[in-house]
Amino acid sequence: MTTSQTEQSVTTFMDAPIEFFGHSMTQMQSIPRDELEALQRQAMKIRFRQHYETIPILRKLADRLGITDLDEFEDVAPLLFSHTAFKSYPSALIDNKRFDLMTRWLDTNTSYDLSGVDASGCTTIDGWIELLDRETPLNVITSSGTTGTLSLIPKDKAAASEGMYIWKMYLFQTFGTEPTPEQLDPGVDVVWPTFASGKLGHLRIADMVKSGFTGNDPSKFHPLYSDAIDTDLMFLASKMRAAASRGELDRLVIPEELAQRKDEFIAMQLRQPEEMQQFFAEIAEKLAGKRIFMLGTYNLMYDVARAGLDRGIEGVFAPDSAILTGGGTKGMVLPDDYMDVIHEFLGTESIQIGYGYSEVSAMHFACEEGRYHVQPWIIPFILDPETSQPYPRSGRQTGRSAGYDVLNKSHWGGVISGDEVTIDWDLVCPCGRSTVAFEPEIMRYSDKDNVDDDRITCAATHEVHNEAVNFMKEFEA
Amino acid sequence: MSSSYTVPIFLRGEVITEDLVTFGTRSGGAEFAAPDMSKYVDRLPLASPMAMADLYDVGFDEILDVLQALGDALVFDTNPHLQEAYEAARLANPLPDDMLRTSYQILKPLFARANVLEIADSQVGLDYLNGWVSQKHVDGRELRVRAFGSRVLHIPAGNGGLVSAVTILRSVITRCDAIIKAPSNDPLTAVAIARTLADVAPDHPITRHLVVAYWKGGDTDVEEALYKPEHIEKIVAWGGLASVKHVTKYIQPGLEMIALDPKRSATIIGREAFADEATMREVASRAAVDIGVANQEGCANARVIYVMSGTDEAGIANANRLGELIYDEMLKLPAFISTPSRYPNRDLFEQLESTRMTEDWYRVYGGENREGAIVVSQFDEAVDYSPMLTNRVANVVPVDSIDKVTDAVNAYTQTIGIYPESLKRELRDRLPLFGAQRLTSLGYACNVAIAMPQDAIEPIRRMCKWIVDEECDPDVVIPLWRLGEVAQV
Repeated sequence: MTTSQTEQSVTTFMDAPIEFFGHSMTQMQSIPRDELEALQRQAMKIRFRQHYETIPILRKLADRLGITDLDEFEDVAPLLFSHTAFKSYPSALIDNKRFDLMTRWLDTNTSYDLSGVDASGCTTIDGWIELLDRETPLNVITSSGTTGTLSLIPKDKAAASEGMYIWKMYLFQTFGTEPTPEQLDPGVDVVWPTFASGKLGHLRIADMVKSGFTGNDPSKFHPLYSDAIDTDLMFLASKMRAAASRGELDRLVIPEELAQRKDEFIAMQLRQPEEMQQFFAEIAEKLAGKRIFMLGTYNLMYDVARAGLDRGIEGVFAPDSAILTGGGTKGMVLPDDYMDVIHEFLGTESIQIGYGYSEVSAMHFACEEGRYHVQPWIIPFILDPETSQPYPRSGRQTGRSAGYDVLNKSHWGGVISGDEVTIDWDLVCPCGRSTVAFEPEIMRYSDKDNVDDDRITCAATHEVHNEAVNFMKEFEA
Repeated sequence: MSSSYTVPIFLRGEVITEDLVTFGTRSGGAEFAAPDMSKYVDRLPLASPMAMADLYDVGFDEILDVLQALGDALVFDTNPHLQEAYEAARLANPLPDDMLRTSYQILKPLFARANVLEIADSQVGLDYLNGWVSQKHVDGRELRVRAFGSRVLHIPAGNGGLVSAVTILRSVITRCDAIIKAPSNDPLTAVAIARTLADVAPDHPITRHLVVAYWKGGDTDVEEALYKPEHIEKIVAWGGLASVKHVTKYIQPGLEMIALDPKRSATIIGREAFADEATMREVASRAAVDIGVANQEGCANARVIYVMSGTDEAGIANANRLGELIYDEMLKLPAFISTPSRYPNRDLFEQLESTRMTEDWYRVYGGENREGAIVVSQFDEAVDYSPMLTNRVANVVPVDSIDKVTDAVNAYTQTIGIYPESLKRELRDRLPLFGAQRLTSLGYACNVAIAMPQDAIEPIRRMCKWIVDEECDPDVVIPLWRLGEVAQV
């Protein structure tokens, strides 16, 4: 290949990986490692230069560390952000509704120019994110952090739709064969075992899934509850937990905007049993034997499966349906036979497991061996859990998972996770995929160290939402 | 892994090192061995309440003599039990060696006769401890009150030798029967004091009413067998929220809890601090001590420091200057008071690095090598992670008025270090309404006296049972059975 051909292929690799790999999951997972690493190194170098110019917070850090260029993988290690980078704003800005200053903060974290956005009229988190949705390329993902704060990750819309396309590639294609036209455009209904929408983390995926899997056809999207979860209410819940642990619950102020909507939230709570009935009626009538896609944590799936079986519904979906889960049991206690219950209800052949974390735009899908094969545009690192120094990229290494995502355009793609993972760098997985892979055992350090974690996980949305509504009821009383 | 050391049971004078099982320590490194408590738990409590009687044959002078002798023997260089405790604490505790060693120096003066007398007399009253105190009521009855000892289980915190020593001192002066659960991060100090007591007062009633043992917190087999009103009347629980909360499930009529629960402290610095450079430096050095003592592991340490500098440009500049000076002074603290942490908290320093990048709202002095840091807020709010502050990381927050400070004081606030004294007097009738429990001069937050209330309660009085003897002469106090006759007259 000539130099210009190489440059062109690097650009395609890092900007349009679907095209680069010919829409084929098999190709994505069959690229020889040395070839892939050469591409990753060049892409990393180019993306760093772009982001150095466009992301102020990265420039500040690189300048402080005296880093001007990246050549080897290890060079990026000092520039890996901790999760705290996405919640470094003072939370008083949200309490005081200073969304103009929140926008200014977000601007330092994204490659897009937000200086033209006037957020001074926003009074809620949801309102602010909707404004950003309307006026910018961003698709901001939020997630509840510890200490009663909210992480804000400036993803963009292009990455969201690209991400869904890649999910479909992995869910419906078979490794080892090139995709058929039917596999590239599978017609499925989506079963969504939680609230229909919301701006908080995992709920944000609802809109992405709806658009990516059903082409935004409401008749093909079947949520358990029709309502949206309010981010401001969830933020209140997260602050409530933090305040309770500090003995400051008496100082917690319910924002006027939420207080006015109390009756609405209570009505939503009261609707839920009836909506659950309708959900199962719809499944039994319209979706029996059909091919569906369902995404959810094990405990959400278990709850739905249990409720379904109790209503006499079993083996309900087509065996080739796609079921995707991840995150283990998220600290929830499930009965020993939970997998049997889930399988009995779903009637599907298999459940696909994935591993990812919200700061990185990739889900790594498990192979038949149970290993999570790293997406080719992610450069994985195993770090010393305390010092964050990278361990050698050889042999079997266990430590803190981190990654640099060369595909990510909207924010700096180097992030350190809270997960303990293992990679056997020298392993060629018997499944036939050429990429490096995380071993099946993945654990959160906070679970391992038994640390009090007031993070609100996706598994606990329903419970936390009820907590907040109940608190509002009591507060008024 | 083989066990690094053994935590024996000190059972009323007897030292038991059999039936060993192993345990991990909080820092994750070393393991230690201790007797399998399921085999011994039945022997820990007093067989019968009558067995408390021998404590009342001991006069208070004799108590003072025994404690004085105990203190005299608690000299690190000559006491093998303390040396052994120090070796164990080195493995189990995050504090550096020098600091741990220094912590034993407080033991001798603590048990000195004059100090013990002051504590006993001011915190309970010698008359009540040693006999019946009479009082005549207006209705004519003769009332006599005496403070009796009770059967107490102590769950002390493991910060240094002080807590274990204070626990033993309090139990002895109140004639309590004490069972102490040794903390895993300071497993041997209580045992060392107990063994020294057995050396200086073998078979003395005071020695026979002391038990020290280790079991894992939350071991329900042990707790359910022991935490019962027939064995224990009071539990004194120090320490973290989870462990204190955990104990509450055993509380029932006949078994009460004295909670010395987790607390945070605050600091308030008035405008006077900025009078001139010399004053500013003195204030900075006092604040640095409140932050740095024992590497900010304690609940009395300064963490969030409110500065009444104002939030205009000049005020922020003053706050920044003070923050810089505090950082300088902190680095100058001698190693027996304060050092960079041996095990810096990763999550905290990650937060700090993100804060450093957020210059619009925060300025960070130091912290590059995890040696400690001062974060100066550039507006009137503390950092969101203020509950995590430790490892010599503190947050200076400039405020315009005292209202902003009272917002931050709550039921979990223990000590507030204040400068100058005039501001303290101004605030002392107000801050307690919000939850503050102890106001002290800036620089003395961790310099705690024992002869005073703690955490807004009087734990030593609470350890006693306050028993009443009434004498009613029917000719003086009109009896109920004669009320009818009186009414008819």
